[in-house]
Amino acid sequence: MILSLIILYVLSLIYLSMADRFRSHTMILALQGLLLFGIAMARMHAFHPVEMGFIVVETLVFKAIVIPIILMHVIRKTQINRITSSSTQFGSLVMSIAALIASCTITYYMHNSNADTISFGVALYALLSGLILIVMRKRVFAHLVGFLVIENGVFLFSMAIGVELPMLINLAIMLDILISILVLGMFLQRMDNDMNTDESDALTSIKD
Amino acid sequence: MLTYLIISLILAVLPLVVRTERMTNVIAALFFLLQVAGIALIIGYGRVDGVMLSVFCADSMALLFHSLMTVVLGFSLIHSSSYLKAEQVSTRSYKTYYTLLMLLAVAITCVYYSDNIAMTWVFLEATTICSAGIIYHREFKQSLEATWKYVFVCSTGIAMAYLGIMLLATVAQHGALDYTSLKEAIVEGDPLYLKVAFLLMVVGYSCKMEIFPLYTVGIDANYSAPAPASAFISTALVNAGFVSIMRIYTLYAESDVFEWARHVLILIGVLSLAVGAMFLRRANNYKRFLSYSTVENMGIVAIGLGIGGVALWAAVFHVVCHTFVKSSMFYHVGIMRHVYDSYSINRIGNYININRVGAIGFIIGTLVLLAFPPSPLFISEVKIFSEIVTVEKWWLLIVMLVLMCVVLYSIWSRSLRLSYHSNQDELHLSAVNRRLSYIASIPLVFAIVLGLWQPQVLNDAINSIIAREVAIEIEEVEIVATPEQACEEVAEDAETTDALVKEVEAAAEEVIEETTDENLDNNGDVL
Repeated sequence: MILSLIILYVLSLIYLSMADRFRSHTMILALQGLLLFGIAMARMHAFHPVEMGFIVVETLVFKAIVIPIILMHVIRKTQINRITSSSTQFGSLVMSIAALIASCTITYYMHNSNADTISFGVALYALLSGLILIVMRKRVFAHLVGFLVIENGVFLFSMAIGVELPMLINLAIMLDILISILVLGMFLQRMDNDMNTDESDALTSIKD
Repeated sequence: MLTYLIISLILAVLPLVVRTERMTNVIAALFFLLQVAGIALIIGYGRVDGVMLSVFCADSMALLFHSLMTVVLGFSLIHSSSYLKAEQVSTRSYKTYYTLLMLLAVAITCVYYSDNIAMTWVFLEATTICSAGIIYHREFKQSLEATWKYVFVCSTGIAMAYLGIMLLATVAQHGALDYTSLKEAIVEGDPLYLKVAFLLMVVGYSCKMEIFPLYTVGIDANYSAPAPASAFISTALVNAGFVSIMRIYTLYAESDVFEWARHVLILIGVLSLAVGAMFLRRANNYKRFLSYSTVENMGIVAIGLGIGGVALWAAVFHVVCHTFVKSSMFYHVGIMRHVYDSYSINRIGNYININRVGAIGFIIGTLVLLAFPPSPLFISEVKIFSEIVTVEKWWLLIVMLVLMCVVLYSIWSRSLRLSYHSNQDELHLSAVNRRLSYIASIPLVFAIVLGLWQPQVLNDAINSIIAREVAIEIEEVEIVATPEQACEEVAEDAETTDALVKEVEAAAEEVIEETTDENLDNNGDVL
């Protein structure tokens, strides 16, 4: 069960590197939220109502519903649709596969008996995929998606190494991330209004 | 702590509901007094090192940096009022600015007091969100760019730091992420995990401490924010980054990878110093110029941490003094902007004839920043150099000296330009405010006083922060320095040795006797 969910997660990351429509990016992020919910539930050894409630809120509510709604709102407001250049897509696909190989290699060397090796490797791949999206894509919306992919990767990573943080800390972390997304979404809209662009090339006016 | 946090948060958001700027100033004054009262209560009621709400601890480091932040906050609030009035901002904008500045102060305070590595992360992320509004305060195209970069890079960097925390959590027992439990558990950690965790955390927090590699966002943030807020970001927030890294440093002190971690800090320090030296020559904006100076100074601090020993004491002292000097310089630059309506290094000048008090303050500030005696930075830098010589890292000494010569030339030539170069920009002579220039120089006076005399309370605080590393060495130096104490120590040692020898002899005799008896018995049996 967990393995099939993780394989789906890897496929979603590969698809993300090829997708050119921002709506597809948003839908993949929602799907990743659902997959993370499934993985977290499958890993639970016993029924803990509070822990389960928190997982539902963090994955289903925030990652699969609230954040995609915010992103869809930004897409509608800014009327952005797709990534402009197709060459970066092919480049990011090649980079994504290279990242997958790199993650497998790193996981092999960092193997630890306390950690779930497969989840560890996939989490690492998610982190690298997020970084690739940020570096390879020019539109700042893609950067925002990259940041969210990294956040999902960190969540999967925490499951891989089996760390259970106190509820207060988990809640604070979740709120922090949500507010960051809201702030970034707000500034992205401002950028579109004030600068009539969301290309990262336009963000080079501050120089020495 | 909970009461303090609730009252602070209420006061911080209160300007949003009041109507006038005057009321906002009153609330800001109350907020400042609350900080002072908070520190006084912790010290007065002997709550030092006391754990609060199970995630906060009022240790020496937290108290020292909270006190520094309060001083800078007081001056920033005074300068912000004049700055915003000169800018003729709307009442709404005025209130929002004060709200965000106070919320930032609360978040920074929580970073200082956090006794849990995950909570430190949470509040550092909170500082990013509060800073974003301040950076965007002027609402022009470049501030939007600076804000986007700041929020995005800081969030991504801090997400990386979170990954490091997760790796570190693998060694924690029952998910306990408080610094004390982690320090005990880390000794048994997997060295590879510990190394990767250290790298991720230091790289993530580098955006706050303004060191290599994520220093750029701090430069843009200081450039875009109003000058009094830049003073606060460049000192209190940078100190929050320093405190976070210092806590990780202390955490690693007993682990096997500590030496490796120190080498990483030296490398980051040298690269930060190199970046500072390179861009101080190129910067054409006084605020960016001062920000690169922060990068350079924090580079020196990172090297101090990496070297260890007495340099560790010097690194903490350097951060304390840098807070006073840099905040003063930013306030002077803020006053200067009212006169020229520009920060351009190449265009503005003749400041000595326009605002003599401000110009002299800026020149003295430059001299203190360049560590000319009686600058306190002279003491810290000399101590760092002496420790480098002691550990015989000659390559580091040469690299630092070369880079610091470039820094010295760049800063000195640029600062003199402001006072003695002919002015090419439009002047607003009515905006000259000598009273404010005097106020801006007060932190500088504090710094010079620290250069001449370090109060015992400060020495104790720094010694307590670095207790594990340097305090032992300092004690040894003190014993050797007083012959009588040294003789007593030797005599005590000799007595202890004699007693031990006697005990060992007695034990040995007992063993011999027992063995002899057994042999006799055995012989008897055989016979």
